[in-house]
Parts: sequence; C-alpha cells; structure tokens
Amino acid sequence: MNTELKRTLRKLFKNPSAILGFSLLTFFIIVAIFAPLISPPINPMFPDENGNPMKLDNPYIMPILSWSSDPVPPSKDHPFGMIAGRDILYGVVWGTRTAFKIGLIVVTASTFFGIIIGSIAGYFGGWVDEVLMRITDVFLSIPFLLAAMVLTTILGSGLDKVMIAMIIFGWMATARLIRANILQVKEEQFVLAAKALGIKNYIIILRHILPNTIFPVLVQATMRLGSLVITAAALSFLGLGAPIGYADWGSMLNYTRNYILGASGQALAYWYTVFYPGIAMVLFVLAWNLVGDALRDVFDPKLK
Amino acid sequence: MEKKPLLEVKNLKTYFYTEDGIVKAVDGVDFEVYPGETLGIVGESGSGKSVTSLSIMRLLDPNGEIIEGSQIIFEGKNLLELSDDEMRKIRGNDIAMIFQEPMVALNPVFTIGEQIMEAILLHQDVSKTEARKMAIEMLQKVGIPEPEKRIDEYPHELSGGMRQRAMIAMALSCRPKLLIADEPTTALDVTIQAQILELMKELQKEYGMAIILITHDVGVIAENADRVVVMYGGMVMETANVRELFKEMRHPYTWGLLNSLPRLDIEQERLYNIPGIVPDPLHFPPGCRFNTRCEFADEKCRKEIPPLYEVNKEHFSRCFYYQKVEEAQKLKKAGESA
Amino acid sequence: MTAYIIRRLLLLPLILFGVTLIIFSFTQILGPEKLLSAYVNPNVFDKLSNEELDKLIEKYGLNEPMWTRYFKWLGGVLRGDLGWSVTAKQPVAQAIKERIPYTIELALYAIIPVIGVGIWLGVAAAVNRDKFLDHFIRIFAIIGWSLPDFVFGLIVLMIFYSALGWFPPGTMSAWAEEIVKSPEFKRFTHILSIDALLNGRLDIFWDALRHLIGPILTISWLWWAYLLRITRSSMLEVLGKEYVRTARAKGVPEKDVIHKHARKNAMIPVVTVAGAMVIGLLAGTVIVEVIFNRIGMGRFTAQAATQLDYAAVLGSVLFYSTVLIIGNLIIDILYAALDPRIRLG
Repeated sequence: MNTELKRTLRKLFKNPSAILGFSLLTFFIIVAIFAPLISPPINPMFPDENGNPMKLDNPYIMPILSWSSDPVPPSKDHPFGMIAGRDILYGVVWGTRTAFKIGLIVVTASTFFGIIIGSIAGYFGGWVDEVLMRITDVFLSIPFLLAAMVLTTILGSGLDKVMIAMIIFGWMATARLIRANILQVKEEQFVLAAKALGIKNYIIILRHILPNTIFPVLVQATMRLGSLVITAAALSFLGLGAPIGYADWGSMLNYTRNYILGASGQALAYWYTVFYPGIAMVLFVLAWNLVGDALRDVFDPKLK
Repeated sequence: MEKKPLLEVKNLKTYFYTEDGIVKAVDGVDFEVYPGETLGIVGESGSGKSVTSLSIMRLLDPNGEIIEGSQIIFEGKNLLELSDDEMRKIRGNDIAMIFQEPMVALNPVFTIGEQIMEAILLHQDVSKTEARKMAIEMLQKVGIPEPEKRIDEYPHELSGGMRQRAMIAMALSCRPKLLIADEPTTALDVTIQAQILELMKELQKEYGMAIILITHDVGVIAENADRVVVMYGGMVMETANVRELFKEMRHPYTWGLLNSLPRLDIEQERLYNIPGIVPDPLHFPPGCRFNTRCEFADEKCRKEIPPLYEVNKEHFSRCFYYQKVEEAQKLKKAGESA
Repeated sequence: MTAYIIRRLLLLPLILFGVTLIIFSFTQILGPEKLLSAYVNPNVFDKLSNEELDKLIEKYGLNEPMWTRYFKWLGGVLRGDLGWSVTAKQPVAQAIKERIPYTIELALYAIIPVIGVGIWLGVAAAVNRDKFLDHFIRIFAIIGWSLPDFVFGLIVLMIFYSALGWFPPGTMSAWAEEIVKSPEFKRFTHILSIDALLNGRLDIFWDALRHLIGPILTISWLWWAYLLRITRSSMLEVLGKEYVRTARAKGVPEKDVIHKHARKNAMIPVVTVAGAMVIGLLAGTVIVEVIFNRIGMGRFTAQAATQLDYAAVLGSVLFYSTVLIIGNLIIDILYAALDPRIRLG
C-alpha cells in the first residue's frame, strides 16, 4: 500500500497539468486566506474621528471609493482598475472567498444528499430504489441552469438562494454513482459474508460499502466544483445571484456588460473590467478541473 | 537434409523505452523456421516470447524499438528493411497471427463475417460476394456450425472456443505461409484447448504452412511442436527438436521447466517449482540471466553471458556447464530407476 | 428497438408530469397575488382595487389547494393553453411558438460543427499523441473547458463587435427586420437563415449569419473542448486495445485502422457523454441569447424567471425538458446502434 501510494503520488506530480492544477489551487487558497491583508476591508473615503479609514461591517460589500461610476484604468493605487467607484482588485480578491464558499458549500451539501439518497436506493433496492430513481430521473430532466434559475427567483434572489437552489438540483449525479457502486459492492464476497454473519444493515453500509465507494464520489465532487462555480456566476451574471457591488466575479461581470462596447473611438478601452474578474474565474475553474482530472486518473481510471 | 528456412531471425534485439528505464525485452535472439514445421517458443511470462512475435510482425507499441543490427529474413527479404506499405501487404497475407484472448482480439463492433471478409478483400482480388462465400467456407473449415448464420453474428454472441475458431478462420483466410499463434489456447477450457490445437494441426497439414507456437505451457509444446526454442530473460536458452529436448535437455532452465510438468510414470509428492522469481527486465543480473535461480551457477555465470554451445547436431544450449547438467540428469535417472 | 422507443416516448408525459409538478409546487412559495399575473395582464390589474383583486384571485381559484390548481393548469396545457406571459405580453403558447425556431436555428448551427470538428480534432490529437498538434489541441481544449460561456461571450462581443465591428448583437438588422415582417417575405420554416435563402434574399441570409456567428462561437467553444477531450482519451484507450493490433496484423492500412476499427469503438463513450452536451447546449442558449440580445427561448426563459412570470416559466420548463428527454432518447438509440453488445429493452 505504502509503495503504491508513493508510486501514485509520484505519478501525480510527474503530470504537468496536475502540478499546474494544484499550484493554481494553492494560489487561490492563499489569496482567500490572506484577503484581509491583500485588500484590507476599509474605506478611506469615510475616516472616523481619529482620521483612520472606516472599517467595513461586511467585507464582501465592495467599498465605494469614488463617486464617478465610469471605469478607471489600472493605476498604481488600483492595479486592476476601478468600476462603479469600486476597486476591481478588491472584488477579485474577496471574490475568491465567495467562489470557495459557493463551491464548497454546494458540493458538500449536494454530495451529502446524493450519498444518502443513493445509499438508500442502492442498499434497499426493490420499490424504494424504483421510486427514488424515478424521482432522480425527473430531477435530471430539468436543465440544471434553468432549474436553479427558476428556484432562485422563486426564493427571492441572492447568493444564499442560489446555493439552496443548486443544492436542491445538484444531488442526482452523486446519488446515481453511489447507487451503482453499492449495487456492485453488494455482490462482493466480504459484504455477503457480513450479511451471513447477521450484521445490521446500517453497519454494513457504514463500514463496508461506503469506504469502498467514497473515492469515486470524491473525484466526482472535485470535478463538479468548477462547473458549480460557473453556474453560480452565471446566475449572478443574469442578475439573480449576488447583488451589484458584492465581491462576486459573476456579478462584477454582469455590471461590466454595460461597458464592453468601449469608449468612443476606443473599442477596447475598458478591457480590464472584463479581463480581471474573467481571468480569475477561468483560472479558478481550471484549477479544479485539472485537480479533479488528476485525481480521477489516480484513483479511478475507469470513471470518466 | 538441407532445407531453406522460411524465416530467419538473426540477433533480434527489441528494447522498450519506459519511464523507469530501458527494458531489454528481447536481447539477441536467433532462430529459424522451416516451411511446414511447427516451432514452439516456450518460456515464462516476461521471457520475451510475445515481443519476439510482435517484432516479426512489426507491431510493437510506439515505445518499443527494434535495435539496429537485428534481422528478420522472410523468404529472403529482411522485413525490417521494408516500407510500411510493403510490410502491410505481408501481414495477414504471408504471415498471419492469432492472439491469446479471442474476446479482446476481435473487434466488438463488427460482425465475424465483416472481420474475416476484410482480410480477404485486403489481400485478394475478389468481389464482396465471393469474399463472403470464402468466409463462410473458412468458418465451416474451422468447425463453426451453421456458418451462414454465424457469419453475421458479433463476437460477443459466440462462445470462447467459437471465437478462437473464428480468429483462426480470419488468420488463415489468405492462406499464410507462416502462422504465429501467441498463447492461442491459454484463455480456453482444457477440453476446448485440445480441440483448437487439433484444428490447427489439421489445417497446417492441409495448407502446409509453418507455425510459430508461443506458449508457457510445456505440455502444449510437447504435443504440437517439431522444434523448440526455450526463452528466458529475452534470450534463447536452449533450442533443439522436441524429442531431444524432452529427453536430453542441456540447460538448467529447461530442466526446471520440464520438471514442473506433472508426470504419470513416477509418484510425485508435489510438483517441482523453479526457485526464485523471473528477474525484473529493467535489472537483469550481470552474466547469465538465469544465474539467480540456477543450481549450477558459480562466479563465472555471474560475470559472463554464456555463448550458445552446439551440444549436439542442431541442439544448442546457453550454459557453460551443459555437461554437468547432462551428468546430473543421468544420476537422477539412475536414482529413479533404482 | 421500436418497442423500446415507443415505451420511452410513452414515459415522456409521465416525466413531464413530474417535472412540472416539481416546478409548480415551488411556485406555491409565491403568494396568490403574484400567481394572478399568469391569468390577467398586469397592466389591467395594476389599476384594480384590493377588493377587485381578491375577486380575481377567487375567480381563478388561487386560494384553492395546490393540487386542484395544478390539475387546472394541466387541463389548460392539454387544451394548448399555457396561460398568459407578462413579460412577452402575449399567451405563453404563442410566445414559445414564435421563439422556438430562433433557438433551434442557433442550436443546430452550433452543434453540427461541434460534433464534426470536435470528433475530428479529438481523433487527430490521439493519433498524433504527444506531437505538436496534440499539445496544441489539448491546450485549446483545457482553456475551452474552463472558460465559462458568459465570459467568452463578452470577449467575443468586445473583439468582434466593439473592436472589429464584424458581428453585431441582436437577431437581425433593422432594415432586414422590416423586410422579414413584410408580407412578401414568406416564412416557410420560420428559421430565418433558411427562409432567407428560400426567398432568394442573400442579403438577409448574410445579415442573419452575421448575427449568428458570435453566439455560435460562444455556445460551441466549450463543447468543442469537451467533445475533443473525450474523443481524444477514448481514442487513446481504444488504440491500445488488442483488436486494433489484430486489425494491423491482418494488414489493414493504418488509415482504416484508425477511422474504421478504432473510431467506431471510441465513439461509444463519446455518445454516452453527449447527454451532458445536450443539457449544456440548452443551458447555453439561455446565456448566449441574453448576452447577444437575441430573440429565442433562452432569453424568454431568463426574462420570465427574473420577472417571476410563472406561467411562462412553467411553459419554458416544459419545452426545455421535452427537448432534453428526447435528446437523451436519441442518444440511447445511437448508443445501441454503435455498440452491438447493448440491447435496448
């Protein structure tokens, strides 16, 4: 096992795209952790009695630093430029935290529900399985973006609503995967032996089946994370998620749309308003995709 | 009797370039195949026997390379000097090959008929209808019942034995002069193994082709081969005609290999096993490649690679101490008969 | 096979029943007043007093239990009445009917090059493994796979519209719209570019195409990358199989080994992931039609959703789910056609 693990790790770190993925991810984790140092949540426009800049109550609401709403090109003080009086760098940095928050919460919760539903269906089989799988089919028959979009508006818009909607419509793939794996593992000797020994069902699931099926689920969760962040951003982009001014890449891009036509005579004058939030998002998704891909190659070459 | 060989393999070296280093899978192999005979190549897995056959066909994986200086002469032409297109015309037409696992060796998405007809249409100037007729004939010949119906079935619809028969039909559809059979029966049940080998013998008689029979199974060699090449660690250890080899083996490896066969003439508590394991092809021991597992090995064997000694007419052994092997055998036989 | 298709098609209404039931029950979170907008043009009911509103709520039974109302809605659907769309200011059924051809046009123009070129490039990458072409194609695929369509769409607009002025947003130019709306322009298929050709109006055809290229680029970019990746890895796996060696041992030319023996097998996993592609393309039409300001089901749905135009939302869900289910059925049939080991039933 140990040598196999070493071999696996060596294989992982010989693969340039895996290295790129892990480095990018590490970079984003560092940015997220040190966000308060990189972009302090203060607003110098409003000094307190002592002349110190005002501390923000909610650091995710980007501080308004100037009253001009037009984009301001990158400068020494604002290396990514400004839009709507807000610092783009600030939004990109704190948006990293938002992205992690969305991705991790939605993936964890939907995977959790998926595991529960899939385990029940796979383990008990029969009509329980039949009913749960038909429900899964129905949920899978609504395009994910559409479902999330509709539910978010019904719930009343906002990032939390986006996450709830994505969890409600995001468990099906995990449920199917877990169910298929359980059906397969159920036939294995050690499970049959445990059954023959009269061990209780839930103990068999917890002790024998889940550990055997958890790796593919983890790989799948990693691979889904990137696309979930894209969907959340798409909803913000459509104006359903984070409000304008919130440190969220999708809502920043939504605001930016008004400026893509450029200034008169200078078509690409406001390139930085799309470029920085856009590139942050692309690299974030790329990181998760590459990591997921590498994990898949290592843990389960058959899972595609 | 001086016959002209159909195939001469001279100093064949095939190396694989892997992440962990160079694997010398075949490292200087020589043998000949004469028209109409069956040459058995025997050895454990990793001995280089399959790589030898793939080298003859020039069907190595991309990381494999046949080293300069190797020669594979078929009917007077060095196959290694042919263009890809010339080689392609020989494959399936003059030299055909059948593989170990008929399930994975047949393409799952084409019918048996399509796959046999493809070979016929590639190498013979016939129409589709004629090719189909020939394919049905071929299926009949290899003993597939209802060939008119079976020809339109997919590989997964046939049993393992039937699939291997279909594979043979495909290989023989262009009447090759040489058939390379790489572990043709290993994946099959014992009863079906015998049937398939019997079929190959019959077809060999009818077509007069030569066969290279590659196997790890000494029993299969004993019953089917005319001459035998024993391979170990990418080299030929011993070569002789089959009777002589089984009676008077002159190499410790051959001896070990044959001793591991169950014998009916004497009572055996348990089967003999050659001690040790096949060496990692990345790290062959210096000197004779068998020295790590050989009872006769001494300092000399750990330093130098022994040459092939001609111990008898057309009987070669790659062992410094082939005479000791002979004496030891005599002693053992005397012990058994006493 | 036919029996299987019929059975799956019979299942379609059942699944749609489940789908609409889910969405319908979610809409119950909204109060009866918001729901009223599905029946009454809100331009009218903005002027109404509270008593009159209550009367209307009563009239349409919006205080009744959910099941009663669901079946009423369903009854309407069966009669072809999907309710009133506030955003489109017309009946939902009419609004959908008008917008479907535009979305189909976009989806078709996007998917055909995706499938053709994506598979071709994937095979080329696998065959030239680790050579320049392979690296180039793989980098292209990795970028495409991580580039969200709305980011890419903005870039396309910036470059091809703002900077170069080649491909404007919208559905067609004003002058073209005038002609298209006039009676002498015959709507044969309701697909603009085809109708333009059938009317012999090359100028309108070119105008429609100019407006289509940006959206097509945006929507297909991601799926090119996706299909290419899958084809490449599937092809690489298949090229290592024994039956490929058997084909070579028969003397099959390398061209046929790749395009006949290997490719047919490699397509099997590609088809199975095509389901994700159908869903993705459908979702893509929403984003792309919004960014490029095109007429179509996607923008209609997005507007309906953001405005809580719930009758229109239910109607759109009905449309998208139907397309998705039929798409998946076609994929299953293709799958069985490709792999003789699969028996549908």
